[in-house]
Amino acid sequence: MGITMAELLQLPFMQRALLAGLVLGLLLSYLGIFVTLRKMAFFSDGIAHAALAGAAIGLLTRFSPLLSALAFSMLLAALVYWLEKKSPLSSDSIIGIMFTSGMALGVILISLRPGYQPELIGYLFGNILAIRTQDLALIVVFGASILAFIASHKRKLTLLALDREMACMAGINPDLYELLLYIMLACSLVLGIRVLGVVLVSAILIIPVSTARLFSRSFKALTWWTVLIAEFTVLAGLLLSYILDLPAGAVIVLTGSAIFSLAFVASAWGKRSRQQSKTEL
Amino acid sequence: MPPVLEVKDLTVRFNGSLALDHVSFTIEKEAIIAVIGPNGSGKTTLLKAILGLIPYEGEIRLFSLPVRQVLAQVGYMPQRFAFDSNFPLTVEEFINLTCRTPEKLPVHGALDEVGMNEFKGKLIGELSGGQLQRVLLAHALLHHPRLLFLDEATSGIDIEGQGDFYSVIQHLNREHGVTVMMVSHEISMVYKFTDRIICLNRDLVSHGETRTALTAEVLKKLYGENADFKVHGHEAAQAGHGNHHG
Repeated sequence: MGITMAELLQLPFMQRALLAGLVLGLLLSYLGIFVTLRKMAFFSDGIAHAALAGAAIGLLTRFSPLLSALAFSMLLAALVYWLEKKSPLSSDSIIGIMFTSGMALGVILISLRPGYQPELIGYLFGNILAIRTQDLALIVVFGASILAFIASHKRKLTLLALDREMACMAGINPDLYELLLYIMLACSLVLGIRVLGVVLVSAILIIPVSTARLFSRSFKALTWWTVLIAEFTVLAGLLLSYILDLPAGAVIVLTGSAIFSLAFVASAWGKRSRQQSKTEL
Repeated sequence: MPPVLEVKDLTVRFNGSLALDHVSFTIEKEAIIAVIGPNGSGKTTLLKAILGLIPYEGEIRLFSLPVRQVLAQVGYMPQRFAFDSNFPLTVEEFINLTCRTPEKLPVHGALDEVGMNEFKGKLIGELSGGQLQRVLLAHALLHHPRLLFLDEATSGIDIEGQGDFYSVIQHLNREHGVTVMMVSHEISMVYKFTDRIICLNRDLVSHGETRTALTAEVLKKLYGENADFKVHGHEAAQAGHGNHHG
């Protein structure tokens, strides 16, 4: 290696990447707890894919693709929520329609621009090392606002995710908080697209919390482990990708998968050992 | 003193079909009230409508006020959890989450009342059926409700456990003046422990004092001619023969 770790961390693009990665790791993994509780993984994947149309509108109109994707996906999330309430179709069908339509619209809009489209690859697979200062500012401002809201309404959001009726009985307005969760999730996914891309962004929502669930013995432990695993995954994945000269988004996802696999094997082995000791007793 | 509960012309529809048809009744004073009827007769629907959990037509008032205004005085024990019971959530965390004022949390008191304080660190998914029912009861009692709704609270519990559970309910009613409305299939327990009864089969088949309203004719009307009950005039259905799961 021609550069030491200390020198690497001095590089402005690496500092931006690390800060963006850590903020998004915290935000997405925390939201992932609610996503897995409410079984919203498909919603997350669908919104991330459909956001391509929003980014394409931004690229075509020379407006900020990130801001345009944010606005588009938040509107889409509200539309999915409204259709879930008003139409007889299942949530999966509605998301499936939005997912494919948004993606198709994005591809057509991007094809309207002549020549090679490097931004398209960036949006599909992410490019954390190319994050600009204005993107970082958006990620930090939106990320901090959403995290502050979740932290101050954690009990309500958790109870609603656990049991809608109990949430109603506890005086929580379920419709309002559900809509807010949909919009916050859409917004966070779009911010995450800059790091992992449309195709991979759901990974940081799902993998850390799924790993933490394998060994957590309380909700508090689950929350802490989820966030710690996500931050470690982003940090390790980012540095590994730089060292190995491989795409950052994909390396981050595979780092998360490797940690999950290790935890899964350790958890299965631990269960087996406990069962064996019980049998011997 | 205002009536505890007034239900007037309550109608509930699901996708156009009637789940409850113009049901009206009044509960004047503190009592233990059973709601019985066959599957699909609208028992749970009645509870959920009273609690404002589903849309309905008609009028419902608790203590002469709209339900939303007195929700803090109401406890509800659902039939089951809607969430994945394998989710890592301890008993104490569950009670904390469901509390309206977590900063003034009487969690130990609520768990003590149902004998579950020693289980507060245990995961919800690791509790037995009976332990889970007691945790749900602790949750329902958390805010010292004046009105308690129980939806098939003793399903999956053995006869002895049911007796213990009903004794707790009776204690709450007699000693603390809590009105309890419970959906149940256990006819013998209903006969033994409840003061009033509401017999539903989408519409109101019968209601009144348990000993007078729960007759063999009413049971046949609810569950059919072949239902296996031992109700002789005003005599209680015998335990072991009086349970109906139809």
